[in-house]
Amino acid sequence: MDTKHVVRAALPIAVGAVLLAGCGGSSSGGGGGGSSSGKTFTIGYQGPLSGGNAALGINMNNGVKLAVQQANDAKTLPYTLKVLSADDQGSADGSPPAAQKEIGDSSVIAVVGPAFSGASDAAGKIYGQANLLMATPSATLPALTDEGFPTFYRAVADDFAQGPPDADYLVKVAGKKKIFLIDDTTDYGKGLASAFKGEVAKAGGSIAGSDSAPQTSTCVPGATGSTSQYPSEASKVKGSGADAVFYAGYYCDFGLLAKAIRNAGYTGQLMSGDGSYDSHYISGAGAKNAEGTLLSCQCSDIASNPKGGDFITAYKSAFGQDPGAYSAEAYDVTNAIIGVLKGLGGSPTRAAVVSAFGSVDYQGLTKEITFGADHNLKVQTAFLYKVVSGKLKYLGDLTSLTK
Amino acid sequence: MCFTSNFWSLTIDGLNNGFLYALIALGYTLVYGVLQLINFAHSEVFMSGAFGGLFLTQALVGTGNPTGWTAGGYVAVGTLMGAVVGAIVAFLLERVAYRPLRRRHAPRLAFLITAIGASYFLFSLAGHLFGRDAYGVPDLLSHKSLFSIGSRNIQEYDLLVAGSAIAMLFILDRIVAHTRLGQGIRAVAQDAETASLLGVNIDRVISQTFIIGGLLGGAAGFLFGIGSSVGYTMGFVPGLKAFTAAVLGGIGNIRGAVLGGLALGLVENWGVTCVRNSWRDVIAFGILVLVLMFRPTGLLGERLGRSA
Repeated sequence: MDTKHVVRAALPIAVGAVLLAGCGGSSSGGGGGGSSSGKTFTIGYQGPLSGGNAALGINMNNGVKLAVQQANDAKTLPYTLKVLSADDQGSADGSPPAAQKEIGDSSVIAVVGPAFSGASDAAGKIYGQANLLMATPSATLPALTDEGFPTFYRAVADDFAQGPPDADYLVKVAGKKKIFLIDDTTDYGKGLASAFKGEVAKAGGSIAGSDSAPQTSTCVPGATGSTSQYPSEASKVKGSGADAVFYAGYYCDFGLLAKAIRNAGYTGQLMSGDGSYDSHYISGAGAKNAEGTLLSCQCSDIASNPKGGDFITAYKSAFGQDPGAYSAEAYDVTNAIIGVLKGLGGSPTRAAVVSAFGSVDYQGLTKEITFGADHNLKVQTAFLYKVVSGKLKYLGDLTSLTK
Repeated sequence: MCFTSNFWSLTIDGLNNGFLYALIALGYTLVYGVLQLINFAHSEVFMSGAFGGLFLTQALVGTGNPTGWTAGGYVAVGTLMGAVVGAIVAFLLERVAYRPLRRRHAPRLAFLITAIGASYFLFSLAGHLFGRDAYGVPDLLSHKSLFSIGSRNIQEYDLLVAGSAIAMLFILDRIVAHTRLGQGIRAVAQDAETASLLGVNIDRVISQTFIIGGLLGGAAGFLFGIGSSVGYTMGFVPGLKAFTAAVLGGIGNIRGAVLGGLALGLVENWGVTCVRNSWRDVIAFGILVLVLMFRPTGLLGERLGRSA
């Protein structure tokens, strides 16, 4: 009889505990270092903070927080800045509510993000109506800048800087003529796949087969794909006789795919783009399976960047780990915004930030941020990496590698 | 052609998936048999088992790199651990979430909402406790080809899944057909009220049914995790597929669940040979709708009692 009472008492307690934990977890991280007196304004960040692809989103969120914290510490602005982080889980479905969270807070004067392409597409109109700047450090789908989102700026090279040179490298430099192309059915994946595909024939290669494998629910909560699809994907790859596989999608699913492909005994070259450029790809696939994979990224390698030293030290001391993919890019975008704020005096408005950001010219750690009339970067570059002994090794920039 | 070149590959992969679906589907079908409840939280029993096996094998492997019999032993205890954790979660689930409702004679809908709520509760809790990344299970199996069927190389994983699933299914079938517990399960499934009048302890039978379903689901979770990865939302799609398999075979029917699982695994894998993988679910669920149109009670029909 006693046990019954224990169980009856335990349920409400357990529910309460989870609710409390939930509250603790969802309160967004502040910028830190700010004094409580005086005016405050907020820089928003939108990206995946939960779900299988959260690592990329957290990399960027930390970059934003670090830039804001440094600006507060140095008293760069006549007010204190805060950070409001909104979790969109990297999905188009999660994006509008996350955007509403940013828009609903009247102290938010600019947003870094959304991090992912599908999420950017879904939020573009909403931010536009609120006249709130959305400056993405990482959404690379080429079509995003054709949508005419008025407040959207892409502070990263798009997939045309990545997909076609990837094909050139794979066919001409690595000598892989027959390529199997897989996309993850997201906006980003389809965009990258089509940018890649167009160049294969021009480079003298051929598409041995192609497929679309939806993101799995293991990686993206609410996604419809099942991890059990990857063994059959591996069969298709093997059956096609391809020399190489190019995956257009994110690291979590690419890890599962690589594992299944290697388990099936396929030994050809694996390659993917910036969505898969994260050390979690290697841990997800298993170091043995990931070895030799080529990954391109519009993100430069901050560790081999001569200007990166102070940033890496500051990042490590703030977050206890090395910066990841797009940490430095998010840091640069945030600093570009802070630079714009400097010129806007003590009470910046959303409209003033948007109009000033279009003509920004900021030399960041990773690149020069300055936009053309299409809201894309004026100079677009992508870089190539390879998994060597379980680590991401920098090979160089794709423009010179494919010359 | 698209079908002939990888037929055996796709068949073996389909059987692997199918066996795992079957193990999970039994959890749905057994519980449906005794409670007429679709226990949607069963996908989280599956997920819990995967985490149980993952953490145990991670602890055992440590920084080492075991091979041969040691590695095989680790896989075996990992699977066992998955089964035990699955059973514990399933047991607690019944005690905490469903039994109070039964005591109060709650309407069907309350059970259903509770099941969905329990599912969200459990996977959100797992997300909080274990983080929201996907974990890889330590690589304990060799990927060497043992022999081949057609063009498909058979590896340890294929034998592991098929072997352990067949063993578990066989034992379950014997339990339900020949033991006192099995009699109890069949009696409650046929007519709970009469069974209790005849001295069957319904509470205990229901508890034990959840435990059996949990053992199978938890073990399946770890086996599934070896093949792909372990994460807090991993149960969602396999759970849905297994539920589909249970309905396909005839919900409440044990052999139906096995047949439904294998059929679904094979059909969805064969289906994508000539079309893109994104058609997988369209094909699988299209076939489900067709089967139910002509056989509304599933391939083998409902009723747990009659099957064994």
